[in-house]
Amino acid sequence: MDYSLDLGAVTRNFGPLLEGLWVTIQLTLAANVIGLVLGFVIALLVMSRVALIRVPATAFVEFFRCTPAIVQIVWFFYCVPMLFNIYLGSMTMGIVALGLNLAAFNGEAYRAAIQSVPREHRDAAVALGLSPLQSTLHIILPTAFRLAIPVLLTNGIVIFQQSALVAIVAVPDLMYEAKSLATKTYRPIETFTIVALVYFAVSFPISQLVGWLERRRSVAMA
Amino acid sequence: MELDFSIVLRFADALAYGLWLTIRLTLICIITGGALGFLLALARRSKNRLLRGASTVYVEFFRGTPVLIQLFWIFFCLPIILGVELSSFVSGVIALTLYTAAITSETFRSSLGTVSREQIDACVALGLPARVQVTSVVLPQALLRAMPTLLSNTISLFKESSLVSAVGMADLMFVGQNISNNTARPVEMLTAVALIYFAVAFPLTRAVSVLEGRILRKLAA
Amino acid sequence: MFDGAKDQTALVRMDGLHKSFGPVRVLQGLDIEMKRGDRVVVIGPSGGGKSTLLRVLMGLENINAGSISFGGQPYISVKDGKTVIDPKVRRSIGMVFQHYTLFPHLSVLQNLILAPCKVNGESASGAKERARALLTRFGLGAKADAYPNQLSGGQKQRVAIARALMLDPKLMLFDEVTSALDPELVAEVEQVMLELAAQDMPMVIVTHDMWFARNIASRVIFCAGGVVVEDGPPEQVLGSPIHERTREFINRVFHIRT
Repeated sequence: MDYSLDLGAVTRNFGPLLEGLWVTIQLTLAANVIGLVLGFVIALLVMSRVALIRVPATAFVEFFRCTPAIVQIVWFFYCVPMLFNIYLGSMTMGIVALGLNLAAFNGEAYRAAIQSVPREHRDAAVALGLSPLQSTLHIILPTAFRLAIPVLLTNGIVIFQQSALVAIVAVPDLMYEAKSLATKTYRPIETFTIVALVYFAVSFPISQLVGWLERRRSVAMA
Repeated sequence: MELDFSIVLRFADALAYGLWLTIRLTLICIITGGALGFLLALARRSKNRLLRGASTVYVEFFRGTPVLIQLFWIFFCLPIILGVELSSFVSGVIALTLYTAAITSETFRSSLGTVSREQIDACVALGLPARVQVTSVVLPQALLRAMPTLLSNTISLFKESSLVSAVGMADLMFVGQNISNNTARPVEMLTAVALIYFAVAFPLTRAVSVLEGRILRKLAA
Repeated sequence: MFDGAKDQTALVRMDGLHKSFGPVRVLQGLDIEMKRGDRVVVIGPSGGGKSTLLRVLMGLENINAGSISFGGQPYISVKDGKTVIDPKVRRSIGMVFQHYTLFPHLSVLQNLILAPCKVNGESASGAKERARALLTRFGLGAKADAYPNQLSGGQKQRVAIARALMLDPKLMLFDEVTSALDPELVAEVEQVMLELAAQDMPMVIVTHDMWFARNIASRVIFCAGGVVVEDGPPEQVLGSPIHERTREFINRVFHIRT
């Protein structure tokens, strides 16, 4: 290899990388807020008995799940302004695009969790004389939330990683800063390796937490 | 603004060319990545601590970083390290193979874990030697159980492969974006691209559910 | 029909078997000698070591102390705290489990011929021929190409018995083979077992069904607390047991619904 490593090229330019990381984290957190709230609403719509509500909601979910996130983001950045004459800041656009994507995946997670609450729990609630609303609020939803948490967390980390895609539409996130730094300094190995490690350092603890939660649950269920 | 979707038809050949690259990438990488993933799953269940540790780090690392940065790393860093020019197709295949291996290894790992203790007892009671237990009972059941998830992994790969457009490979996404830039018709072109991805991925997701039901019923016996 | 039928020499000798699961001592010095003509039914309270006894006899569990010989040959022993099992001897024992344990990815016929072909090196065509004959005998001739999930519980259990018989075992073990079945399917499985009994196949059966025990057993062993409490002909152990503990148990299970 005719290439000597020079980590200084990266450490001297840590400022922009840190700013990029901050943008990435803001994108992730904001998208997660949208995803957690809107995802829950979508799950309820998908389970509606009214076809007029259920069908569009299902179409929304399937569409986001069956197309690449990069297509969604590029489409959003190019087409929304043209179609609706709305010009949002690139940061806002990134948040909304990622948030809608996450809402579709979280909607599925909520739906699966609600439907996996054992039939016996509902029956027991009825036998105890709870009204349908009471049994939903006090029995089904709390159980469902607990079941959904590991998947919601996993989806949250995935969106952290997917947020790198906004670099393609020039949102100055961690990925974007990495790319411009690599080009500017001609130091792709140092830059991309360090930035990959930064992404990993954020994702890994959360994925370990998910694993721990799941192990704890399988013990509790046994 | 006025929409004119007939423009999509004028570029049908180019889009078909892009889709073909996307499909080739997906099929090649699910096979190479699946094979590597299977070996990784075995390594993660190995008694050798070094093998187990190394494979765990590999899987966690590839699952814990954006695919885009993995792709950039392979495209821009690997040729420097190896000191050879890699064609973009080869780089794309390497990057997506390494990523797919991490994903499928988790699929294989969990399916290997589902073969029950009772099945092994039955093997012992029939006097089957360890090698036969693995080749005739454990692996066939584990692979069968892995099939629906592997198909899901393939669908994910089909979608993730669109990232190669960011390093200039002429896949469906790249072709669509290119045409949309040149014709200034992003709404029509990008919508068409999205619909093409959807038209391939959606029926496959339905197939996953059907396949899953069948296989679970079969293995429940 | 089977080797050594009506022979009164020892087929199995178990000496001082000890087995613990962690702190729980399941077998606490079990001594049983089984003759070639014996059909032993083991009864007793749950947790009393019945199933563990069968699993140890099949070589599925390690033991802490004791030894087993089979047909006069050493079979299982403990050396330096490790259980040593002779796999050759093990091959002459067959076992049927509570949950069928058919291989779900293989057809009925493939389930039957797997071990004969892979273990004994029998030709596939020869094994298939024997398998079909056995299936026909058990009323399953039409199911040879079915998969386990297409069978009823009773059919699955009959296939499991046929699968074990394919290796020409000298001893058959049945571990609660009708416990998971719907009541209307129990008889078809018990019928097959009675047929084997009529041909003097030596067997050890763990069951909760006292009526069936009385029908099939030549000898009943009452196991509790990891030891043999009472051992004798079915009329004695099930009819007028000598020990107080046996009597209590028999009274409870026979009058459980009154």
